[in-house]
Amino acid sequence: MRDALRRVGWLLRRRTRDAELAEELQFHLEMEARERQAAGLPADEAGLAARRDLGNPTLVAEDTRAAWGWQWVESLLQDGRYAVRNLRRAPAFATAAILSLALGIGAPTGIFSLLNGLVLRPLPVPAPEELVQLTYTLPLWETNPNNRNSWFDYPQFERLRKESRTFSGVFGGTRVGRVNLESGGAPGLAVLDAYSGNFFTVLGVRPALGRLFSEEEDQPDASVVVLSDRYWRTRFAADPAVVGRVVTINRVSFTVAGVTPPEFLGIAVGNGPDAWVPLRSLDRLAPERKERWIEPFASWLLLGGRVRAGVARRQAEAELDLVHRRVLLEQLAVSPLGREESTQRFVQASHLMLRPAAAGMHSGVRATYALPLKVLMGIAGLVLLASCANLANLLLARASSRRREIEIRQALGAGRRRIVQQLLTESSVLALLGGALAMGLACGSSALLVRVISTGDTPMSIDLSPDTKVLAFSALATFLAAGLFGVAPALRASRGSRSGMRTGSRQTGQGSRVLDRGLIVAQVALSVALVAGAGLFVRTFQNLWGIDPGFQRDDVLMFSVDAKLAGYGSDQERTAALYGEILRRMRGMPGVRSAGVSIVRPVDDQFYLIDRVNEIDGRALAQRDTIKVAWNAVSHGYFDTVATPILLGRDIQAGDDATAPKVVVVNQSFANRAFPNENPIGHRIGLTTIVGVVKDSLYNGMRDEPRPVLYYSIFQHGREQGFRWGFVSYELRSVGGVNLGEQVRREVEAVDRSLPLFRVRTLKVQMAQSLLKEQLLAMLSSFFGGVALLLACIGLYGLIAYNVARRIPEIGIRTALGAPRRHLFWLIQREALLLTLAGVALGVPAAMLGAGYTKSLLFEVAPSDPLTLVTAAVLLLSVALVAGYAPLRRALRMDPASALRCE
Amino acid sequence: MATRDTPRMEFLQGTLDVLILRTLLFGPNHGHAIAKHIQRTSEDQLQVETGSLYPALHRLEGRGLVEAGWELAETGKRAKYYRLTPKGRKELQKERSKWEAFARAMGLVLNAPEEEDPA
Repeated sequence: MRDALRRVGWLLRRRTRDAELAEELQFHLEMEARERQAAGLPADEAGLAARRDLGNPTLVAEDTRAAWGWQWVESLLQDGRYAVRNLRRAPAFATAAILSLALGIGAPTGIFSLLNGLVLRPLPVPAPEELVQLTYTLPLWETNPNNRNSWFDYPQFERLRKESRTFSGVFGGTRVGRVNLESGGAPGLAVLDAYSGNFFTVLGVRPALGRLFSEEEDQPDASVVVLSDRYWRTRFAADPAVVGRVVTINRVSFTVAGVTPPEFLGIAVGNGPDAWVPLRSLDRLAPERKERWIEPFASWLLLGGRVRAGVARRQAEAELDLVHRRVLLEQLAVSPLGREESTQRFVQASHLMLRPAAAGMHSGVRATYALPLKVLMGIAGLVLLASCANLANLLLARASSRRREIEIRQALGAGRRRIVQQLLTESSVLALLGGALAMGLACGSSALLVRVISTGDTPMSIDLSPDTKVLAFSALATFLAAGLFGVAPALRASRGSRSGMRTGSRQTGQGSRVLDRGLIVAQVALSVALVAGAGLFVRTFQNLWGIDPGFQRDDVLMFSVDAKLAGYGSDQERTAALYGEILRRMRGMPGVRSAGVSIVRPVDDQFYLIDRVNEIDGRALAQRDTIKVAWNAVSHGYFDTVATPILLGRDIQAGDDATAPKVVVVNQSFANRAFPNENPIGHRIGLTTIVGVVKDSLYNGMRDEPRPVLYYSIFQHGREQGFRWGFVSYELRSVGGVNLGEQVRREVEAVDRSLPLFRVRTLKVQMAQSLLKEQLLAMLSSFFGGVALLLACIGLYGLIAYNVARRIPEIGIRTALGAPRRHLFWLIQREALLLTLAGVALGVPAAMLGAGYTKSLLFEVAPSDPLTLVTAAVLLLSVALVAGYAPLRRALRMDPASALRCE
Repeated sequence: MATRDTPRMEFLQGTLDVLILRTLLFGPNHGHAIAKHIQRTSEDQLQVETGSLYPALHRLEGRGLVEAGWELAETGKRAKYYRLTPKGRKELQKERSKWEAFARAMGLVLNAPEEEDPA
């Protein structure tokens, strides 16, 4: 290693070293001459004698230089220059090769860089491998024993933090969520996290500006806020004077303490917040939940920590588990919940476990996209293989056209090794150029992908800057590619001409074409697999998109507001009045056909509510008959707006307010489940009476099964508990697709200036977003499949064109003798079609095998779906036919006489 | 071609290297002086050719057995001085015992009394 470094050093100082060598030899000469002069020779004779003695100075210098040990670099540079010159002489070939390589290397690199950012990359903190996330087994109703819960209550946190000896620190925190961060009177949305004071110190994050909060902020009056670098840049234009400025968060004042460094994006990859406040400042932000500090069995805190250096994770886990169980037992004794059988069961079986968090704590984004990205990675890898096979083919063709050049060089005495080295250098130059282009492509595309999968109001926080892993990956891909497509053609080109100079004959031995054919078959097989995979993902997406959602997706605009953001706190009266006023204005807007407000949006996979119905008509249901329901609270006009048909009874009405008897509308699934063969109208669920039945509709995303849903009246239920979540969603159906966005903003502003709108999007977009993962897979796999098809097309074209060229005389004779076109067609296409068939025969089982691994990503389509596989096969066969069209036409149009003359 | 890769020398392969290292044992010196020193101490038996000397010096430098620096020579001109590195010192010891064993073995064979007349 040291040797290698020294060599590189020498290489860099080559010029200096050359000069120094000359000076050294010059000195030797002078010394020699002096000696001779001292022995009595005259000066000029002495100089000549010295020179004679030295021998040929150039040779000496060259021998010495050889001892430096980088002759190989010299010849490499020379080969490189030669290769570049050669490629410049064949710009079409070079461009095609470089582009196909850029795509081939860029695709896997781009996806790897996303995968790296999402799953592999360690947090930018000192010794990230010491970080762990605290979780515990959740044995209650989960069938999977590996299921874990990561949410703790505050008393647990306090005890774990105080009693652990194996940790250098345990921190806890939670997402506060979307807040209104007002600065200088201007409202603005921010995503806020609240963490214990030791958060930054345990992680070892240093401020980029100002200070971060510390354990001194574990006080109920804590009032500092730390901004993320991105938020500071976008919201405050990177103003360094922001430190010390007073801002309000949901109308509560905070002082900006500092800014985190740009590389720190939070501890949950993809879900990084815009700002952090100390955990105890929740007393000021959300004072209505004072009991959170003492409440047992309440799950609201994520815990993480740093294991002391040198302590094994198992040991730390064993220690914390003891504390965890001790606290649970104590809680059991004092909490009213402790009398419940399920709680006791939980306490009996719960164990604390540590999850390595070097690459960040559990993140929903990671959970959603890790598998699709791995699948895409595999697909992109196949594309790389296909583009290598294609390039190898191109190079083989090129090598045969360069035979003369190679023969001449061999005749001039170049050894086989030298020729192979030269040819390999040429493919390496191609690979390097392609690889460089690929890096750019990869960076751009992975950033684009992050934008695509960001469904929030700001792009996801994923660090995509190329790190050593990404660079190593792309370098590896590049060299692999160079090796894959370069070696075989180079070896063959140099071997094919061993027999020395030949005549200009075109004939090549059949044996040497095994390689070309093998490459074509491999390429077709890869393409079939890729196209079939793309087909499966496209069909999955289509199947999901084609599901009847139970409502009309067109012309519906949705937006959310949150009274808490404007400082309404937990005042349910004022909140209800505000939401009612906005609804009144929405309904009055020109261009609005109908409008409603609900707590949960239709097809919302980010926020939904689940409950359990335990009694009907005042009678308690048996344990196994209780019904798990999703619930929502909606206003009059909601069903009308999303066009969910009322099947029985009536809609929620304006009169169903706080003073009226409590009502509920149920969906078909609930009615069938709770009242089979019976009219549910008039029955009671808890304190509410069923007044209507609506058609089933998608509730929690497009992949959701029809499930029992209860719809309460928002202005009845909201006051009791609905507005506890703060935000509500408005749905507006416009007349013929009028764009309402700006108008809506103005109207809401007129009601309350400090009430920001968020998640403003149409129902259609929301539905599409709930299928993002599927869409992404369908889109990218189609793209890659298309690339593979194109490559196969190029490969087959080359093969057929070659066949035509080889058989021109034969074709000429046959045409002259009046052979039917059908025969000629078969003559030319036969080989390509047979090879394509062979590729299809290999590719189909490969596709089935590969798709088996992605089963969980498919929807209502089997990995061995015959339609998809047959389509892929037919597509490839038609590609073979299309690829042959141009050369075939040329051959058939040829004048038989000139074809014969050709020979 | 082939002759260029292997320096032409009249020494046995590796001999020159040991001699150079030995010469540098008691202090740094420049190429010319090294050659002259070898020549002198071998009573002019060993002629060091420039075409072998400098490749050898640079090879030794490449292997880290000697290091080089520029100093003013006795003539007042800048000259490249070579100095033994610790690694070179160790190499010298190793090579030296090898050579001594070799020389002793050669001597034993060449000076062995003739046991039988070939007649």
